[in-house]
Amino acid sequence: MSSFDRRDFLKLCGAGALTAGLVPGARLAFAAPEANAYDTLIVVFLRGGCDGLSLVPPTGGNDRAYYEIARPDLTVPISGNGAALGLANSGSGWGLHPRASALHALYQANKLAVVLGAGMPAPVTRSHFDAQQTMEYGTPGSTGSATGWLTRYLTSANLPANITIPALSAGSITASSLIASTEAITMGNGNDFRIDSSAWPWNARDRYRDDNGNINAPAGFRGLVEVLPDLWAGDSALEAAARQTFDALSIIRPMNFGAYAPGNGASYPTDGFGNQLKMIAQIVKADLGLRVAAIDLGGWDTHNGQGVPTSGYDPFGNTVESLSRGLAAFYTDLDGAGAANYTSRTSIIVMSEFGRRMRQNGSDGTDHGYGNMMMALGGSVNGGRVYGLDVFAGLADQALFEGEDVMVTTDFRRVLSEALIRRLANPRLGRIFPGYGGYSPLGIFQGTDLPPDYDGGQDAIFRSGFEPG
Amino acid sequence: MPAAFPIAPDRIGWLQKATFGFSTPEDYDLLQLPGATVDAKWEAWVERQLAPASIADADCDARLGAAGFATLGKTLQQLWAQHYGDGANYYNRMLPVAETECATMIRAIYSKRQLFERVVNFWHDHFSVFGWEYDIGPIFTHYDRDVIRPNAFGNFRSLLEQVATSTAMQFYLDNYASRGADFNENYARELIELHTLGVGNYFGPGDPFSVECLDSLIHCPDSMPAGYVDNDVYEAAGALTGWTIRNGHWQYPGDNDGTFVYRSDWHDRRNKIFLGEYLPANQPAMQDGRMVFDRLVAHPGTARFVARKLCRRFVGDTPSQALVDAVAVQFNTHIAAPDQIARMLRTILLSAEFKTSWGTGMRRPFEVTMSALRGLGANFTPRPDNTSAWTTTERLVSHLQQAGHRSFAWSPPNGYPDRQTAWASTGSLAMTLKLLAWVPEMRVDNDGSSAFIADILAQTRAALPDAAARTAAAIIGYWATRLLGYQPEPTVSVVTAFLQQNAAANAPINIDEDVWNTGNLARHYTQQRLRTAVGMLLMSPDYFRR
Repeated sequence: MSSFDRRDFLKLCGAGALTAGLVPGARLAFAAPEANAYDTLIVVFLRGGCDGLSLVPPTGGNDRAYYEIARPDLTVPISGNGAALGLANSGSGWGLHPRASALHALYQANKLAVVLGAGMPAPVTRSHFDAQQTMEYGTPGSTGSATGWLTRYLTSANLPANITIPALSAGSITASSLIASTEAITMGNGNDFRIDSSAWPWNARDRYRDDNGNINAPAGFRGLVEVLPDLWAGDSALEAAARQTFDALSIIRPMNFGAYAPGNGASYPTDGFGNQLKMIAQIVKADLGLRVAAIDLGGWDTHNGQGVPTSGYDPFGNTVESLSRGLAAFYTDLDGAGAANYTSRTSIIVMSEFGRRMRQNGSDGTDHGYGNMMMALGGSVNGGRVYGLDVFAGLADQALFEGEDVMVTTDFRRVLSEALIRRLANPRLGRIFPGYGGYSPLGIFQGTDLPPDYDGGQDAIFRSGFEPG
Repeated sequence: MPAAFPIAPDRIGWLQKATFGFSTPEDYDLLQLPGATVDAKWEAWVERQLAPASIADADCDARLGAAGFATLGKTLQQLWAQHYGDGANYYNRMLPVAETECATMIRAIYSKRQLFERVVNFWHDHFSVFGWEYDIGPIFTHYDRDVIRPNAFGNFRSLLEQVATSTAMQFYLDNYASRGADFNENYARELIELHTLGVGNYFGPGDPFSVECLDSLIHCPDSMPAGYVDNDVYEAAGALTGWTIRNGHWQYPGDNDGTFVYRSDWHDRRNKIFLGEYLPANQPAMQDGRMVFDRLVAHPGTARFVARKLCRRFVGDTPSQALVDAVAVQFNTHIAAPDQIARMLRTILLSAEFKTSWGTGMRRPFEVTMSALRGLGANFTPRPDNTSAWTTTERLVSHLQQAGHRSFAWSPPNGYPDRQTAWASTGSLAMTLKLLAWVPEMRVDNDGSSAFIADILAQTRAALPDAAARTAAAIIGYWATRLLGYQPEPTVSVVTAFLQQNAAANAPINIDEDVWNTGNLARHYTQQRLRTAVGMLLMSPDYFRR
């Protein structure tokens, strides 16, 4: 099923229908919530290389001793002020950073799982941009793909043709995991996502309303919003991208993001991450068919003065708190009862391009490392457990990669593949992660196992980026 | 394969690629230059632009002067004392970057040294720092004025070291805090990956002697490896320890004026091997670091990396290897020349590929916005504001932020993207279109009543003084020439039809009225329709192509 089916569908709706609301209004109007009939996967990317050893520090065993030696000025303590929050079912003992108390509560409720020693097994790269791109393309060893792993999930998923928003990248520039997808909307703020800035009488048909709020534009009226697509009818890649943009604008325009009231008393942080999570929650609840979303949280490149939770100066902890409060608010918002229970079909994966060096550097920071933690959150996550412990190499000098970094012992694709198969029911791993093999589930997600399909058949449409075939 | 879209006529497209946007005054200036052919005139234009000091820029200077900027003339030491030292008043602390942002817009719109401004913009992306970082905003003026601008057309090696010793880069990539054996790797890694060799020459962890550099085209010094490994990053980090700033560190509390200093007692004095070259122990002050810079600049990978980025910026997304090589040869041949960068630019701008590559790139949000203000003849002096008013400048900056392209506001060190795939993202493109839709509505006081910064109505009247001649086709034809320089289809027809509505093709549009008339759309809010139509030209694909 190619992405062009969605565009064809839009065309069938006709230009008038586009501005009036693409699909019959009730679906777009944030009507009474009902749990969706499909799963949504949210991928949170911690940009800059999150220091996993501070977010999930060892709290017991030999690894704790090695950690304290390597991090004398950055230690997250295990007792007293600023102590790590212990995690049950974590072997010799691991904890969460104290500023992640909201995530800790979700762990205790068995909704949050942690994976240790996760990352990209080969090639090793300590470049932010190389590592981010390789992971988001899902093609370790090659950045020549020019399509993201979520893009290839979409093109191999056999989704129904009439899905309104199958994929969302939060922000202004598309995440690499969704690069070259003609199905994804990239949007930073739902309220602002409309071209309403020109002179009102000629802006759009929907500026003309009767007393009941129904559109009653003059006969034959076509405003800027209606005429604009006529300018972009050509077949260059730029024009194709603009048509995708107009699709997105026409879908979002009738929606009222400002009036949204989060469910269950959820309180989102007012930072960019919180606002974008809230936007995603609205789209999940509006039942627009959202299958995957990518969202970033930056600020993790802590080479210098990263701070400790025992001090008032704790920039790393501030970022942890954004992550923790944002994700907890999102979970709470979606965690209604009965028909308002979206959490059972919404899963979140938290990942970063690499972990940081075991030893602190000379400026109370940490430099680029290798293995890292990952997290999974959701109503269908087998949470309250730390995964990857059976193969985790530990923190002894001889167990570290090059004597310096946490070893990668769990392929990040193994975690993502489990979400793809057990939650999104797409086992076409050969297309989504070319060259990856030997998958077996860790048991992080509930769901049905499907035999992995390692056939790497390519979708011809995407060979040349988003230039249509 | 024939192009699927209209090609801008020669000099029009060249100006669109090399400046912050085609404008009729710039085109007029070009046509006055000596030369019997358009190619000869173009060569003269490029030469004149490559000597920016020779171009009188009184209008731009006057506008900068009238803006009343308070911080742009301050020395680094003054910025340090009066802004970096201000922890209480955030507006005052960040005023230097805010004023630099406004001055950058003024220059992009009004300076006649257009190529220079575009290249300054390029180096701000190449040596990107996050200007709104708490420690950088107060001293950002110094980075723009004293580091980037004086070297924009100069020598890369010189620019590289001035960036390395700048207060902004020292803060941004933490080298100021890198001491002894426990060095901080942040700057060293990005120095190699983003500023010189590029990640394409990164061989990961491993043996630094594994592959020798062999280059058939560009001189490669002896025992130079083909690329770098992590060990080279560590050695470079060690080599650059002790390069720091006078920031009142507890060991030197009296040294606190924000300037660069080399501290030998913070330097990692051991011997090192960087990119196959031996750096002996206990070298004189800064010698380790300078050898690292020399070695990086001598590597053919750096010549090609910088050349490719310059070609991408001025030609299109995928410049040919032949052009990249030709530009890289200029880099290498003139490696110590004071006009090394100008020579690279000349090679690009006079190449056949530059002249025939219309539509292979996309103008970015900042560029199309500045272009729109240039083309519309806007009278606009952006200024920071510390009142509760929501000013036109603040709204403009907010729109640029939504489009993903506010100046100096990209936080990772790789700088703003330079490819269509990034800026054609739905989020960025939608917000850029939203911005351009607003440009004809911009008013001096961002209200509903003050003067427009570009009076489209008055300019239309002046261009077509005979009201009977103001047909939709004549009006749109005029504005297409003003804004685009040519008459691309279907853009011109679509916008003409919009302005015309149900009027006859040869009937004038009455732009002297602006009233509700839904029964006769040709007379419905005609002045607002005129502004909207001109905005549509800005929102056309032809306006985004380069």
